[in-house]
Amino acid sequence: MDLFLNIFIGGLLIGGIYSLVSMGLSLQYGVGKVYNIAHGEFLMFGAFITYWLQSMGVNPLVAVVINAPLMFIVGFILYRTVFTGIRVRSPNPGVFESNGMLAAFGLYFIVQNIAVLIWGSTPYSYQYLNTSVALGPSDFHLNRIIAAVFAIAIGVIFYIFLASTRSGKAIRAAAQDTATAGLMGVDINFVLAMCFGFGAAMAGIAGTLISVCYPIQTTMGLGYTVIATVVITLGGLGSIPGSFIGGFIIGIITTGVAYWEPGLAVAAYYIIFIILLLVRPKGIMGR
Amino acid sequence: MLEVKKLSAGYGNIQILWDVSLKVNEGEIVALIGGNGAGKSTLVRTITGLLPANSGTVEFLGKSIDGLEPHKIAELGISHIPEGRKIFTDMSVMENLEMGAYPKNAWKNKKNTLKKVYEMFPRLKEREKQLARTFSGGEQQMLAMGRGLMSQPKLCIIDEPSNGLAPMVVMEVFEIIQSMRKQGITILLIEQNVKQTLEISDRAYVLENGRIVMEGDCATCLASEHIKKAYLGL
Ligand SMILES: Nc1ncnc2c1ncn2[C@@H]1O[C@H](COP(=O)(O)OP(=O)(O)O)[C@@H](O)[C@H]1O
Ligand SMILES: [Mg+2]
Repeated sequence: MDLFLNIFIGGLLIGGIYSLVSMGLSLQYGVGKVYNIAHGEFLMFGAFITYWLQSMGVNPLVAVVINAPLMFIVGFILYRTVFTGIRVRSPNPGVFESNGMLAAFGLYFIVQNIAVLIWGSTPYSYQYLNTSVALGPSDFHLNRIIAAVFAIAIGVIFYIFLASTRSGKAIRAAAQDTATAGLMGVDINFVLAMCFGFGAAMAGIAGTLISVCYPIQTTMGLGYTVIATVVITLGGLGSIPGSFIGGFIIGIITTGVAYWEPGLAVAAYYIIFIILLLVRPKGIMGR
Repeated sequence: MLEVKKLSAGYGNIQILWDVSLKVNEGEIVALIGGNGAGKSTLVRTITGLLPANSGTVEFLGKSIDGLEPHKIAELGISHIPEGRKIFTDMSVMENLEMGAYPKNAWKNKKNTLKKVYEMFPRLKEREKQLARTFSGGEQQMLAMGRGLMSQPKLCIIDEPSNGLAPMVVMEVFEIIQSMRKQGITILLIEQNVKQTLEISDRAYVLENGRIVMEGDCATCLASEHIKKAYLGL
């Protein structure tokens, strides 16, 4: 029983970060229609910016204040230039989706190259609130608890933004039917770029939170892109609540698998992913 | 109010519209009729910026709107109520209506406009909290029309509102279109329900294979042998 409770709590803690990364990818892919293979690279950059700032004495959680707006701007400009360019040149949405994905692939290699040049490929780490606190039957690191609470807070704030503001509603409308949202007066190119920017900012924040808990390295990004892909397939493409809940479900499943056989954790994502594509391609919240 | 001059457009290399010209004057209901695949929706989508034109121009209130993005055209006062309703099924009825008021000027007045729209469509008010996906086809059409009014448009372009609806609901739809005109809204009505459409409209254009083949006032059209044979089954 204690084992199950431990897996559950551990899964929720890591799940918060998975939720945040996945909501970001869901905005980029579900709304912006770009399957951003380079999503995890924003996360990696966020982690390294945080590392750099904390080495200069900044509190790593405060790094988010610099990190998130910076990633938003980079993501926004990237969509406005590269992806909008591809979108207007594509004869139909299918062509845009495949060409957009290829461009994101290119972006992945470019960012990887630059990052390895700057930081090499060895792990970096620092200590922050590394004390243990009792949570349920056993102890957990305080930094992981704080990271999870932070991630959940961002998720909730974003949900409220989507539900109750004019811009949030425009994003939801564009997610359902881009052309019709345009007819309503929504500036589609702007809103899609905004979604891509928000997605990048979420990845950047997740990078900060990961650096608070775990060692970081330049190759860390792709694994999170894979997890986020599984989560948004589970949660339903473009569904923000689906990504939020899906992050916790995958967190708990992978924590459970890792307890049992750590070597199978990655295989578990893919098994879940393939089963989902076969059984419920629209996800738990998709329609 | 709206003037389309020698418009050609299509999808990729396939040209659908050939030198289409038409005019809608302020206060009119103008009908655009034609069979399935004639190019009616393509024409409307080119006017409201969803599709680029190959050649020709579109003027609204005396100014060219060529090449403007859909949201700019919506802000100028054209409301396009699209074929197939296209309501936001995962949003509530109220949120759908709010989306209709998205342009900045309309957003400021949305409380008042909402009140007026609820007066026209009392059933929408009763069910304002419900998800739009729970609506029947007729109710979805009412919602689409209510949403189209939320931007306080000068011109409404309504694409096949009666498609797939029961005869009773079709009557209701046509009554609403007439009451829209009474509120001072100019209307371009795309329909395949030819007889009823010609009865409530002032003038009509007939589109066949992407070309305007006939235009004139509705009485003339109703009397024409071609219309009788091809569209009224007489
Ligand atoms: N997205 C599209 N891509 C390619 N061809 C299209 C597309 N939409 C419509 N068409 C074609 O354009 C022609 C006109 O269609 P449409 O404008 O929808 O006619 P109508 O509204 O009069 O029924 C049809 O032959 C149709 O097959
Ligand atoms: Mg049509």
